[in-house]
Amino acid sequence: MTKTRIEMKNVHKRYGHNEVVQGVDLKVEDNEVVVLIGPSGAGKSTVLRMMNGLETTTSGEILIDGTDIAKAHVDIDKVRQKIGMVFQHFNLFPNLTVLGNITMAPVELGLMTKAEADKEGRRLLDVVGLADKVDARPAKLSGGQKQRVAIARALAMHPDIMLFDEPTSALDPEMVGDVLAVMRRLADDGMTMVIVTHEMGFAKEVADRVVFFGDGKILEQGSPAQMFDHPQHERLQGFLQKVLEA
Amino acid sequence: MKRKWLLTTLLAGLLSILTWGMPREQVQAAETYTIGTDVTFAPFEFADKNNQYVGIDIDLLNAIAKEEGFSVQWKTVGFNAAVQALEAGQIDGVMAGMSITPERQQKFAMSDPYYKSGIAMAVAKNSSIQSMKDLKGKRVAVKTGTASADFANANKNKYGFTTVTFDDSNNVYQDVTTGNSQACFEDFPVMQYGIATGVGLKVTNKTPYEANNYGIAVLKSHQADLLVKINAGLKKLKQNGQYDKIVAKYLGDGSQASQAKKTKATQETDRSFLGLLKSNKDTLLAGLLETMELTVVGILCATVIGVLIGLLGVVPNAIAQGAATTFIYIFRGLPMIVLALFIYTGIPSLTGAHIPAFIAGIITLTLNEGAYTAAFVKGGIKAVDRGQMEAARSLGLPWGKAMRRVILPQGIKIMIPSFINQFIITLKDTSILSVLGLLELTQTGKIIIARNMEGFKIWTMVALIYLVLITLLTWLSNYIQKKVH
Repeated sequence: MTKTRIEMKNVHKRYGHNEVVQGVDLKVEDNEVVVLIGPSGAGKSTVLRMMNGLETTTSGEILIDGTDIAKAHVDIDKVRQKIGMVFQHFNLFPNLTVLGNITMAPVELGLMTKAEADKEGRRLLDVVGLADKVDARPAKLSGGQKQRVAIARALAMHPDIMLFDEPTSALDPEMVGDVLAVMRRLADDGMTMVIVTHEMGFAKEVADRVVFFGDGKILEQGSPAQMFDHPQHERLQGFLQKVLEA
Repeated sequence: MKRKWLLTTLLAGLLSILTWGMPREQVQAAETYTIGTDVTFAPFEFADKNNQYVGIDIDLLNAIAKEEGFSVQWKTVGFNAAVQALEAGQIDGVMAGMSITPERQQKFAMSDPYYKSGIAMAVAKNSSIQSMKDLKGKRVAVKTGTASADFANANKNKYGFTTVTFDDSNNVYQDVTTGNSQACFEDFPVMQYGIATGVGLKVTNKTPYEANNYGIAVLKSHQADLLVKINAGLKKLKQNGQYDKIVAKYLGDGSQASQAKKTKATQETDRSFLGLLKSNKDTLLAGLLETMELTVVGILCATVIGVLIGLLGVVPNAIAQGAATTFIYIFRGLPMIVLALFIYTGIPSLTGAHIPAFIAGIITLTLNEGAYTAAFVKGGIKAVDRGQMEAARSLGLPWGKAMRRVILPQGIKIMIPSFINQFIITLKDTSILSVLGLLELTQTGKIIIARNMEGFKIWTMVALIYLVLITLLTWLSNYIQKKVH
């Protein structure tokens, strides 16, 4: 029996008169890799950021392992410890070394001793192929290296879920491959992942399910094969045509 | 470990400096009254060449106190500040060549007259102005809040002149000497004494206008004790000849020669730059020390308050942010001199609580410089990329931990130049606190100049001392900045 990790029920988000998320229902099962696609402004990043409470909701429920994080009394910090997030612009901490970026949170939150965290940090850097950058400052790294450190930083918390918000959009083309390789490995290892991306090839290859957003709503979802080879919604057809042409 | 040690030292230093600056209470059996007086109103009160306050007022009240068995603590804060402090109940009385007027009798309890005075009109030595009739279209300098000022204002329409007011006699004379004003009104004996000491003016009227009497003002609540003692003591001194002795000590027999002799006893002999520096070295050093005390304590308090308020301004809570914004709005918006006077004389007149001038000065610096500090602390934190907070929070760090480990270390780097700037401004702003009568560098300069009229040389010294201080402070700040980076 699979376990539902994330369940969004009729979620709305309004800024004044502008409703950017208009009633989204979305389930993510354990070990599932879900890719959110759609034109910019469709609300996919907002939906992703709602999953760890970085965006608030106007109405609706967001259940993480059965707990509604939209409720005020929920300890959101506890929930976030189990959800890793990777940002488009990496957001590494420039005041810390590469290793410091990875070990700071687990040590600060009392989950690991300094020694344990250092050991784990070095292991993770090895996994993402940056074992030689342990003591480097983030400013000295390339974009691709930064993003791999950011992934290692999120993994150091041993999350159950990983959220990726356009992780390769800010990278030079030759850097994209390294980052996608790390993500592919994570997917293969059974990590539950929600990814906002424009890398259609990657989506096709890695996703269990692809969700198409338009105007703050889910317009269509299904397996990569269904979505890419037999798109039903005319907006999805148009979207794919534009992206694949480019 | 190291940080804890630093913090403890800082706190200990802060405390010791604070207590150091407090007025030390003298343990005395006899009643001590605090009497405010003018900074310079020779021959009634002025600092002699050893920077001791002397004069007819000082000697007379000290003699009365001795006679009647109480002691006097003098506060040389300037005439206006003294009167305001008395109105606020900060001090017990004012003796500063103060004319007895009906208004003052209504507000305060006034003593029996102790000196008969009146108003002199003085003009530049080479001036052709001979009487008030010649003042048409001219400008007349007076000292704020004095009987001479009232007299000038009452007559300006009749004779067609305008008035300009200053806080110190010295500035009044200076304005006439430089030709900005063509005449000044001043208490008769004061003007005579000033001219004998070297003020380049001459008195036009042989007999005083508006002959009046000087009296000592005390709080109405002291009507039954202090006032009775003063009147009784004054009577005794007049009877036993001590009164005449004191007056003669400062005014001699009225001849220029005798006055010049008296003057010599209180004035510097070597008027060269180095000579003046030498003879005023101790006084200037004391002023420098007070300025440094104010600066160090002010910077520490303002930084603590500023950082706290700045942080309050970024807490994700509307009330906290509103409080911080209001604090910054009010205390950055108020001119520092208004804030200083409000705290020192305004609040006490409302609540009756006494605030020592040093403490009032520190509160002023803390609020004003603290508001500027809060503004750039808030700005520095907000200048840190929003993604940094999101990344830290997404790892499960609570807001406080994210602030401390991620945002502040980056924000502080942004803030450092502003901090250095603010430290230097704080040092300079301590000079504004001279309005509270604090004997810091600027006030010290004013007092020395009031005695010897060597404005150019003394202000040059004061300016150089400030520049040296600011240079040292800048070096220190740059050194710290390098260490941090």
